[in-house]
Amino acid sequence: MSAPGSDRPVVLQLTDATIKFGGLTAVNQVSFELFQGDLFGLIGPNGAGKTTCFNLITGVYRPTSGKIAYQGNSIGGLPPNKICKLGIARTFQNIRLFGALSAIENVMVGGHLRDPSSLLSALSYFPRAIHETARLREQARELLRIVNLEDVAEVRSRDLPYGKQRRLEIARAMATGCNLILLDEPAAGMNPFEKEDLVKVVRRIRDEYQKTVLLIEHDMKFVMNLCERIVVLDHGEEIAQGPPEAIRNNPKVIEAYLGEAV
Amino acid sequence: MNLPIRLGSFLAAALFCWGIQTWAMGSLPFNLQRLIALAGLYVVLAVSLNLINGITGQFSIGHAAFYQVGAYLAGYFSIHNFNPQGMPPWLWLILMMILGALGASLAGLVVGLPSLRLRGDYLAIVTLGFGEIIRIFVQNTKELGGSYALDKIPKIQSLWLIWGLAIVCIAVCRNLLKTAHGLSFLAVREDEVASSAMGVNVTKVKVMAFVLGSGFAGAAGALLAHWETSITPQTFSMDVSFIILTMVVLGGTGSITGSVLAALVLFYLPEYLRNVSAISGSTLVAVTLSVITAVAVMKRLVDHYHRPMKQRVIAYLATIVGSAILGVVLNIAFRGVESLAKASFTGDKLRLVIFATTLIILMLLRPQGIFAHHEFSWDWVRRLFRRPAPTPGATS
Amino acid sequence: MWAGLDWGQLPQQLIFGLGIGAIYALIALGYTMVYGVLRLINFAHGEVFMLGAYTALFTSWWFGFRPEDLLKTPQQGTILILLIMILASMVFCALIGVIIERFAYRPMRNQPRIASLITAIGVSLLLQYGGALILPNSPPPAISSKVSPFADQITLQIRPPDAALAQAAEEKKKEFEVANTAFEKQLASEKSRFDLSPAGKELRDARLEAERENKKAQDAALASGYKLIVPSGQLIMLLTTVILMTMLYFLVMKTKTGRAMRAVSHDFDSAGLMGINVNSIVTITFVIGSALAGAGAMMNATFVGTPLTTFYGVQLGVKAFVAAVLGGIGNIPGAVLGGILMGVAETLVVWAGYSQYKDAIAFLILILVLLVRPGGLLGSAKVEKV
Repeated sequence: MSAPGSDRPVVLQLTDATIKFGGLTAVNQVSFELFQGDLFGLIGPNGAGKTTCFNLITGVYRPTSGKIAYQGNSIGGLPPNKICKLGIARTFQNIRLFGALSAIENVMVGGHLRDPSSLLSALSYFPRAIHETARLREQARELLRIVNLEDVAEVRSRDLPYGKQRRLEIARAMATGCNLILLDEPAAGMNPFEKEDLVKVVRRIRDEYQKTVLLIEHDMKFVMNLCERIVVLDHGEEIAQGPPEAIRNNPKVIEAYLGEAV
Repeated sequence: MNLPIRLGSFLAAALFCWGIQTWAMGSLPFNLQRLIALAGLYVVLAVSLNLINGITGQFSIGHAAFYQVGAYLAGYFSIHNFNPQGMPPWLWLILMMILGALGASLAGLVVGLPSLRLRGDYLAIVTLGFGEIIRIFVQNTKELGGSYALDKIPKIQSLWLIWGLAIVCIAVCRNLLKTAHGLSFLAVREDEVASSAMGVNVTKVKVMAFVLGSGFAGAAGALLAHWETSITPQTFSMDVSFIILTMVVLGGTGSITGSVLAALVLFYLPEYLRNVSAISGSTLVAVTLSVITAVAVMKRLVDHYHRPMKQRVIAYLATIVGSAILGVVLNIAFRGVESLAKASFTGDKLRLVIFATTLIILMLLRPQGIFAHHEFSWDWVRRLFRRPAPTPGATS
Repeated sequence: MWAGLDWGQLPQQLIFGLGIGAIYALIALGYTMVYGVLRLINFAHGEVFMLGAYTALFTSWWFGFRPEDLLKTPQQGTILILLIMILASMVFCALIGVIIERFAYRPMRNQPRIASLITAIGVSLLLQYGGALILPNSPPPAISSKVSPFADQITLQIRPPDAALAQAAEEKKKEFEVANTAFEKQLASEKSRFDLSPAGKELRDARLEAERENKKAQDAALASGYKLIVPSGQLIMLLTTVILMTMLYFLVMKTKTGRAMRAVSHDFDSAGLMGINVNSIVTITFVIGSALAGAGAMMNATFVGTPLTTFYGVQLGVKAFVAAVLGGIGNIPGAVLGGILMGVAETLVVWAGYSQYKDAIAFLILILVLLVRPGGLLGSAKVEKV
């Protein structure tokens, strides 16, 4: 695959991003950049700071130092909803769906960000709001189709099986109309068939919908199979970066995983 | 929704308001008119609290405070500025409603702001405290009547405005839930972190919920002030807040239908009991014992008896009949105990005891509220009639 | 505005505030402990307190301190009676607490929290209005002050009067006595008290003069020293609370049960998985919390002496709950700190002359504190893990 520094524009750039919780440095001077259309993997042993990295990018935490830029503009310290509006959406490691809402409503919440109708028009049930709601519902149905959840559109998300919940989270993130999508362990708890399915879905998101994908995953086979470039974190520090083959043979990475078959 | 339906619902609402006005004001005794008015106000209060509590999930238990702000603001302003020749009273009342709503919304904004930092029970106690502070402030302000009453408020009684407000309040909440905007309110209730990651402006949603909900309560307060012409801080005590909260939870948190029905029932129950004739101590003890038995058996059935609907209904009915028989037998038996038979309890004394007991029993037997999260819809009615043997609860 | 304040009263008011604060702290502990293990605001706790006060009242009646009995056979209480009263209150409250938990809260445990909250409100209303059917409440009875064997107040001489002034006062006193005896002697020889001879008049004026001088000297001597008048009830309340809290501290921090309680409070479900009998821990929590409320109720009813109605616990209950939240709900030292702060703040407001805002200050402090520290003074706002 193309080497870093290709002709595609830079989407996300972390420069020495650092966050400290009291005495603990959870992420220490991590730098990497994503280009438009990348399928980028973020891996590392447990507690390496991967999810914290996500939380920094999406604004859940404010970086202690360092810079995070999206399409050239600094986003460090912005609130999550603003960052989402700029075009970064995510899924969660410990699924956080809106349990009482149906699958399609979950996706519609994601789409609501691009709803131009005002609250006032919604409260007075003006045609504009009704129309927008119908449009969002249609869009949500389309997204559910992509992740193969059409048949459970009206089921409360709390009642869905685990694998479907994970896919629903992806659809919900897609609905925000994002350009960059962050997937936090999307394959966790899935069986091999479901994982194969997921690989297809993620590829499709990139190829067909031109999104940039950054994902955290534990399953090495899954990551190596899917991602074109990978960053490895250990104890909050970046220890390697490169294409899958290079990562596979990197002694530092092998050491970090303590002999785990990489 | 197309135009005919929209026009039709407007017409139906207008007809309802006109009907209730001409029927009640024309032929009913004064105290019944008042009950209908207060029932309408409680519907507004319950539905508006449901917006804050049930739909947006912000745990507010001081709703009476906004009611009070609206009532005192509009009442005070009206005392000093109302001019019967100036404009028709109903127009003035509408202006006062708007004033009350604005004042209460402002108060809602003030309370809503800390809710951005506080969660759950901490927010609850702040809303409760806000209510108490308002009450104590009023009690110590001579211009507002202090602990006595703010009286001589111009008497403008308009049932159609009260029920019109109730309909507007219901419509606004329902519209919200029918459009995508409502989903972001529900999303905040379900998971703040996730909704903010999905681009929902959590701050705005919470503050909007408080502003809207308290605005309706304020408008209701303005109407109350002009109906009663005299209001005291006790009208808005903590108990009132609790009762409104109870209406919301009992109806089913988040369900507008539930809030409306629970408001009507819970408002009417104590008023009805006020006039029930006195019962003897022996009857009271007998009824208490049979109710306890019924509840204990029912609770077991609800928890452990998972049979088909028909069998369950039979079991419930059997329990009720059985405990009723037990009650009658015990009543006869206890009549022999002289000290019990001689004691007498009036309905007025018993009404809040019965109210509290009903509350506990309903929560024990159906903690998700009567309607749970369901709403009334014509589909639901149609299904009820289409099936040959519909059973209550089959809708869930 | 500070000039108008009576600074000399301040220490006395502080002690008074500590006494009230101790009661708040005792009730707040019940709220906080129950919240700690169940995450439930036990709205009925104020009513448990009310029942405790009634238990103390009935116990005192049983010992013959009913007003009409006292008229027939006047008597003075003993420490033993006080002890029995407090024990009776504690035991009865513990019983009520356990019953409420078993029949109202336990069935709701797996339900949404708001449902248990409504149940708690229901129980609270039921006890208030149901209690009003049976318990004597009009006219509101009060526990006779005769039941306490202690003097009403204790005078503490903090700083003795200035030696020179005291000496002068002593001399003036002697002078007055001399003038007084001289006049009395003269009086004996006079025909009438109201028609004195010139000599008698002279002696009378001298006595008046000496009396005035004496008073002036005495006042000067007094003002140079410092005296503290403490209602003995406040002291007893404070002492008992300290004793009970020390016991609670040992129970929670040093015993196996206490460790289990802390574990349940930390994580209800995991504690159960680790082999702790969660139900019995919850019961114990209710026993302790309610018993503390009972102790507070008995002391408040006896030493503060407010007449009892079935709504006795509402105001105090709400304020104690505020105290618990102020300190950080679920946090035991926090409840004590919150209670004491609340009591002191209230008496200071009264001392400053704003007694009508006494009830508002609690909430005002609470809101201000929560804006700065959303988790209360000693509590920590939990950071949600994403």
